[in-house]
Amino acid sequence: MAPETLATAALALVVLLLFLGGSAKAATAGSHAEPGGLARLGPGVLVPERWRKPVMIFCAGAEVVLAAGLVFTASPLPRWGTVTFFSVATYVLWELRRRRPDVGCGCFGDASGSPVGLRSIGRAVVLTGAAVLVAVVPVTGRNLLSPSWHTLIAFGAGLALLAVLSPEMEESLARVRHRAPCEQRPIAAPKALARLRSSSEWRSHLDLLTAAEPSDTWRELCWRFFVYPARVASGAEADVVFAVYLSGRRPPVRVAVVEGEAAGPLRKSIGVSAGH
Amino acid sequence: MGVERRHALASKALGRSLVPPQAEEENPALTAVTGEILDVSPHLIIVENPEGVEERLVIAPWATAWRGSVITPADLPTGSRVVIRARQSGRVADRLWGDVTRVTGVILSMGRDGRDRTVELHCGPHRGTREVVIPYGASGRIAVRHPRLEPGYLFDAIGTRVEGVTTAYLPATSQPPYRATAVPPPPPAYNGVQSRISGAAAWSDAFDEGEAGVAYPMLERADSQCDDAGVSCTGLPYLSLGSMLYVGNVCESRAAVLPIVACGCMAGRFCDRCVECGTSPRGRIAELSPASFVELGGDLTNGCFNARVGLG
Repeated sequence: MAPETLATAALALVVLLLFLGGSAKAATAGSHAEPGGLARLGPGVLVPERWRKPVMIFCAGAEVVLAAGLVFTASPLPRWGTVTFFSVATYVLWELRRRRPDVGCGCFGDASGSPVGLRSIGRAVVLTGAAVLVAVVPVTGRNLLSPSWHTLIAFGAGLALLAVLSPEMEESLARVRHRAPCEQRPIAAPKALARLRSSSEWRSHLDLLTAAEPSDTWRELCWRFFVYPARVASGAEADVVFAVYLSGRRPPVRVAVVEGEAAGPLRKSIGVSAGH
Repeated sequence: MGVERRHALASKALGRSLVPPQAEEENPALTAVTGEILDVSPHLIIVENPEGVEERLVIAPWATAWRGSVITPADLPTGSRVVIRARQSGRVADRLWGDVTRVTGVILSMGRDGRDRTVELHCGPHRGTREVVIPYGASGRIAVRHPRLEPGYLFDAIGTRVEGVTTAYLPATSQPPYRATAVPPPPPAYNGVQSRISGAAAWSDAFDEGEAGVAYPMLERADSQCDDAGVSCTGLPYLSLGSMLYVGNVCESRAAVLPIVACGCMAGRFCDRCVECGTSPRGRIAELSPASFVELGGDLTNGCFNARVGLG
């Protein structure tokens, strides 16, 4: 397959994703008029609160401008701009996963609410590669007008790869099926427990646990938490907290080991008034 | 395990800040003082708060009180339970409610006691059954807002509780036209959940005296041991006992971050609006303790305010 064929398919993919991402981000930024609306979508959480909305709008604008530049001009500026954009995005996603494991990438606005996983990062890497191909091989929007069969096949394969790497697909399908986002769907605890027990985080902490059943479990938004009594290597009593995301077939699982009562500063009392 | 550790444990697992978020103050703070009246004069009130500490408050010249009807503060009887809205860091009382209670539930049966009517209410699995007397003088006012005083329909009224007898004086809302078992489903939502949801916030007296907290309808039934939870006509996200809920009063620009301490199973069945300032979107999204309701600028006899809630 000629490099030009591959580059044309890559151009189509990059332009499609830039355009979709830009419009979804713009829609999300526009729909949350009130402050704090973007608090749980990256990369806004990495910047101070008053900059969150401008960052989202700037990202959306940059994506649309880059997409237009790739289609309508042959200038190297949007090409290397796209390479820079996706490489920076890869780094930001990595950083987001490290610093705020609970927030979504916001790549497609509020459709990307599930926490950043290796799939989202892999997608950014694939798109960076596609952008490099577009920058190296001189193709413009004119090549898109008369695609060959090979281009279409390469485009289809690339699209399938990106769909596999998109955590948004499962959640979007579930939203259409249940007519409610993950936060509003009732999801039984045993299902989440089964997902937890098939995760690598569970296996790596299994030795610490001192009980087979969780001592407490509760749900907050799209996360279900399980607390297990445990004993750390030094012999001290501890709690292992697992957080299981409730959307997707292989959902992200986060874990923390909390020793003793050192669970951080609590409000002086949160009593429960009824029934407990 | 106590639910009070849940917020800290969840923050650890998800790498959030451990310090519970606090809402920024926009208006001069209001303080709620609750307790039993030890002595009251036209200018000074002495109450014993739930911790057994005496508090002395100056009564503002414009202050009013309510105990079944609007009265002057000095007419509140000694020994009654009182909720006071105080300004100047809790030193000046400007609104007082004596022996105030609110009965929210599903009508089990109706009866008569002379000219008065009696209602037996189911107030949810945690709160049990309550007997309410509607005095003849208030029955017209309550019947206008509750056209179906029949078993199976919802009832919500504000009144007083004196020596174990609950008397309803004011309707707290317009009765929903559906049966309590037929709450309309929330509208379909294809987008993500907004981080702030608007609706009506009510209050309830199912909390400990003076406690700050909120009852939230959308809890998983198994976690909250409440078989009536998880019903709402608004698209509310699932939270749990121990979660921190941001509650903002839209009319007064006041906000607070409060712990969820109870199951708001009755609140979720009310698909009403609050017409406190403008009209709120449909749906009762939280039930506050009287102290929290007063500190957010609510009037206990109005029964609701237009609110915005979100995860703290």
